[in-house]
Amino acid sequence: MSSPKIPEFKAEWKEGEAGRWGLAIDMDLCTGCQACVAACSMENNVPFVGEKESGYGRQMAWMRVERLWEGQYPEVKTTPFQPVMCQQCGSAPCEPVCPVFATVHAEAEQLNLQVYNRCVGTRYCANNCPYVVRVFNWADFAINPIHANPDKDGKLVFPLHNQFNPDVTVRRRGVMEKCTFCIQRIHKAEDQAKSENREVVDGDVTPACAQACPADAIIFGRLDDPQSRVSKLSQDKRAVHLLEELGTQPRVSYLSGGSHGNLG
Amino acid sequence: MTDNFSRRDFLKLAGLGAATATILTGCGPASRYVVREPYTKMPEYTYNGQSTFYATTCRECAAACGLVIRTHQGRAIKAEGNPYNPVNLGKTCARGQASLQGLYNPDRIQNPGQHKRGEKTFTDMDWDAAIGVVGKALAGGDFAFLLGTAPDHLFDLAGELSKAYAAAAPLRFSALAVFEARATLGEAARAIFGKPDNLFFDLSNADLVFSFGANFLETWLSPVAYTREFANMRRAKRGYLVQFEPRMSQTAAKADEWIPVRPGTEGLVALALGKLAAEIKGKVLPAFNGVDVAAVAEASGVEQATLERLAQLFAAAERPVALPGGAPLAQSNGLEAGKAILALNAFTSGGVYLTAPAAVNDAYHRPASLKEMAALIERMNAGKIKTLFVHGVNPLFELPRALGFREALEKVPTVISFASFPDETALAADYVFPDHTGLESWGYQRAATGAGQTLISGAQPVIAPFYNTRATADVLLAASAGKLPYADEVAFVQAQVTGLIGAADGFFGAGDLPSFWAQFQQFGGWWTNDAKLSVPETPLLDKALQVEAPPVQGEGEFYLHVFPSPILAEAGANKPWLQEIPDPMTTVMWNSWLEMNPVTADELGLLDDDVVQVISPFGMLEVSVYRYPAIRPDTVAIPFGQGHTAYGRYAEGRGVNPADLLGGDFNSAGDLAFSGLKVQIKKTDKKQTLSRLESKLGVYGIGEKKE
Amino acid sequence: MERILNLLKKPAIQYSLVIAFLALVGGAGWAFYQTQVPPPQPIQFPHNIHVGLQIQCLYCHPGAQRQASAGLPTEQKCWACHGQLKKYSDPANPVPLEKWPPELQKLAGYVQRGEAIKWVPVYIVPDFVHFNHRPHIAAGLNCEKCHGDMSKKTVATIEQTVNMGWCLACHQARTANDPVKRTKLIECGTCHY
Repeated sequence: MSSPKIPEFKAEWKEGEAGRWGLAIDMDLCTGCQACVAACSMENNVPFVGEKESGYGRQMAWMRVERLWEGQYPEVKTTPFQPVMCQQCGSAPCEPVCPVFATVHAEAEQLNLQVYNRCVGTRYCANNCPYVVRVFNWADFAINPIHANPDKDGKLVFPLHNQFNPDVTVRRRGVMEKCTFCIQRIHKAEDQAKSENREVVDGDVTPACAQACPADAIIFGRLDDPQSRVSKLSQDKRAVHLLEELGTQPRVSYLSGGSHGNLG
Repeated sequence: MTDNFSRRDFLKLAGLGAATATILTGCGPASRYVVREPYTKMPEYTYNGQSTFYATTCRECAAACGLVIRTHQGRAIKAEGNPYNPVNLGKTCARGQASLQGLYNPDRIQNPGQHKRGEKTFTDMDWDAAIGVVGKALAGGDFAFLLGTAPDHLFDLAGELSKAYAAAAPLRFSALAVFEARATLGEAARAIFGKPDNLFFDLSNADLVFSFGANFLETWLSPVAYTREFANMRRAKRGYLVQFEPRMSQTAAKADEWIPVRPGTEGLVALALGKLAAEIKGKVLPAFNGVDVAAVAEASGVEQATLERLAQLFAAAERPVALPGGAPLAQSNGLEAGKAILALNAFTSGGVYLTAPAAVNDAYHRPASLKEMAALIERMNAGKIKTLFVHGVNPLFELPRALGFREALEKVPTVISFASFPDETALAADYVFPDHTGLESWGYQRAATGAGQTLISGAQPVIAPFYNTRATADVLLAASAGKLPYADEVAFVQAQVTGLIGAADGFFGAGDLPSFWAQFQQFGGWWTNDAKLSVPETPLLDKALQVEAPPVQGEGEFYLHVFPSPILAEAGANKPWLQEIPDPMTTVMWNSWLEMNPVTADELGLLDDDVVQVISPFGMLEVSVYRYPAIRPDTVAIPFGQGHTAYGRYAEGRGVNPADLLGGDFNSAGDLAFSGLKVQIKKTDKKQTLSRLESKLGVYGIGEKKE
Repeated sequence: MERILNLLKKPAIQYSLVIAFLALVGGAGWAFYQTQVPPPQPIQFPHNIHVGLQIQCLYCHPGAQRQASAGLPTEQKCWACHGQLKKYSDPANPVPLEKWPPELQKLAGYVQRGEAIKWVPVYIVPDFVHFNHRPHIAAGLNCEKCHGDMSKKTVATIEQTVNMGWCLACHQARTANDPVKRTKLIECGTCHY
């Protein structure tokens, strides 16, 4: 039985809708150096959790670099390093399961949003995410007193907090979070473009991961602009999309195999 | 702080913490009573709440990458690469990204202080007293400077100062220089190319790269620059990378082929490949004549057919390049191995270049070899050094314990550390006079390799000093009381770069110092428009090269392969986010591990996380096992970077320091010969679980129930 | 279950439940009230005098035109005028500091000590809201629209309850004829990230 009062899940992907923002990652170039992971964490106020908590799998990084082993010594190989972050699905499995609409689809930006002030921490979304890219604040990691020094009045001072980016909300305990495609940078660029009376063009926005990547393996841009680098790469014959068969319409394209097609 | 700096009111603003409090208090009425600390005098070009960007130099390693730091209300909030700097062209590595965690590290030394050696805390002093102490030490004459690897302004100043006081020249040193065997590389380059200059390996245009243990995507020489080169190579011609090393490093994981050679036989393999390739090409290269390919195949564990196949690849390549990494050079036969590997580059011209001369103080000073460090230790032991100044290096952690630096330090009457963090050496010093961290200080740094341009990367403070620290250059200049003609650090840096003002080829031009200086700060340094690389002279390959098989050191069963952690390197352990970034190969966080082939581990009955004793003739340590599928069964590996006994809350008491296992033997170029070391592995009944990102399930059946 | 129902029949439990409920509501009300009262300021700044002198809002809050935060003036900005006003600071005929009006004495004190004036922001939004002045000014809104007529006020007070309903009401009303813009302006991610 369905109640007419419950709004329908709106993130239905329509055929031919490319999405607005996209990433392309060239796995032939990615060296697994983790600069993107560090850059993302620094930009987005992502807390670190310490040895014990990370052992429980509560590490908060919004992206991870995957590698798997293949074969046995001496024929052993790793699969290409693969940075995995929120795929900003066009039809996202995380969205319909949120009971409080904290995980919603942005119609204008075509991104999956995580609205921290709505989130009540059911973690259904993380449960339903096939990419396992959502992370949960199991504690107030950033204000754990072990990171603080007492000042002369005995008040706790957290020197590390000086690094916080004022453009990104500092999340508290009990809130889900994930990669936002650096939406604060998108907004900044859009605002800048608007103040100059023009549209955002390819190259206006660079998320922290792509900006840091020493191999330039991460390319970000407008998917709805057929001339943009990322659009072309997402159409490339090397491009694959993670778990595409689930119909999630991921906006991140991975370029597999050799860049000249001479490798498997 | 210098006069120049205090005149710059724009950095003068009160309290940095309050804006943070605003962020933290969340919603609700509490926000209301958070007092925002505004500027007293706001610079004209900024607005409250608008970010200002400053170009400076990354000090996390010696590569001289340029940074642009985003600052907001007087706080530095994000490090990005400087897109102008030819070394990194706007890119950074994880260590550069985390540099702010050094600046805001809660364990920073906040005041100058003194203490009894070994105590954990310091009694605060004031800076006048500190300068008095330094002045007395300088006047005494018998002092020595021990500095970090970076060829920076402080090294130049310490050099001038040492000369003025007729003291020994300062030494530059760090663990990375040991692992990269820089002295051996320089010597091998001199033997093959006639000059000891730094080499630049042109991977961008290569179609085949043979890397002999060069972990150029991790820490080797200039990792950001070489990662870019590597990406260019893959993009342009899809160059083929073959990595020869006993343990698959992150670089080898990116390679198209990984050849697990026995440690110490890399040079032999290079000679064999050279011989075979010369035969295929019909070239006469006497250098490779003295090698027996079958014997090499036997010694190295690489099948002859593989050698022949690789030689064919090499002969067919248009632009092959061979890289001599650290591990093959850090052997008793390291110099010969280095020559053999560099000699492979004789098949083509244009794969290897000599780097451009430095823009300032032309003669490049390579970091001290370990033998020179041993000589310093001897002088310390002999009581010839009355004062040791330590800056930018942590010898108690970074030097092999067997060299006896700890004992020698006790013989030095006065030890003065300029460390920003309470590291092992600072705690063993009498005084600590904390320098600003890199992001709070002035300076410049020469780039040793990584860019074709003649380059000097500039540094400027991006925020006002956070604590009561003082630039070491200022302390030294104040304490030397007019011995040198510089008023302060900025005056010194300006004097050094003055020569560049009229330089013809600079990418910016200026008529006078003020406008040059403004642009120097704006662009984050000075460099030439065009690359200044020179093709080396015809290699000296007329004599047959000989590479001895290295003698094996120690009684054990396993070769010990020590490699610098790609994420932590030598000094990253106190930055919590670097600790939490998974190691690219093992995904282990916050700890040390011993890599062991699963076959070997099965023979020894070891599972993941089992603690073993690693025993070398020089020391013993206990560490958890990680069953690493891509390592020779006769080799075990431990990353270097953890195992601090001090250095703040995030580093202390975490993991093990493999430097404690290393001996004190040198190769003929004076670098430590550590790669031939064999260790014993003893099982314990302890288990210590490693935090790792990867799932333990399904990785070679680990964690699955056996029955 | 039955036990709980029985418990609920006890008057003491009922009263305490009512008291707890009232305390909760009262606490919430108090907290909300706290966000709506003007905070104490270091200097009782008379906006009315300054606006009356035809000084533009953007002179002291220039950020409103070009960025997220409007900015609060530094003492340098105050002193640029007050340091040379003939009335008190004329070098030929200086008025001793004690004779200055008390609020100006405070200002002079800050300047003498080289201390920043710690203005307390009046219009605040929670940290998970990212408000940007620039597009609002660019859309043709006046300062008065949200901040009230400052020519009638001394220290700033809250003229308008700032909550999401108020934001959205305006966003919706102003984009009634432009569905594309409307989608953009009522999207969660426009303010919350």
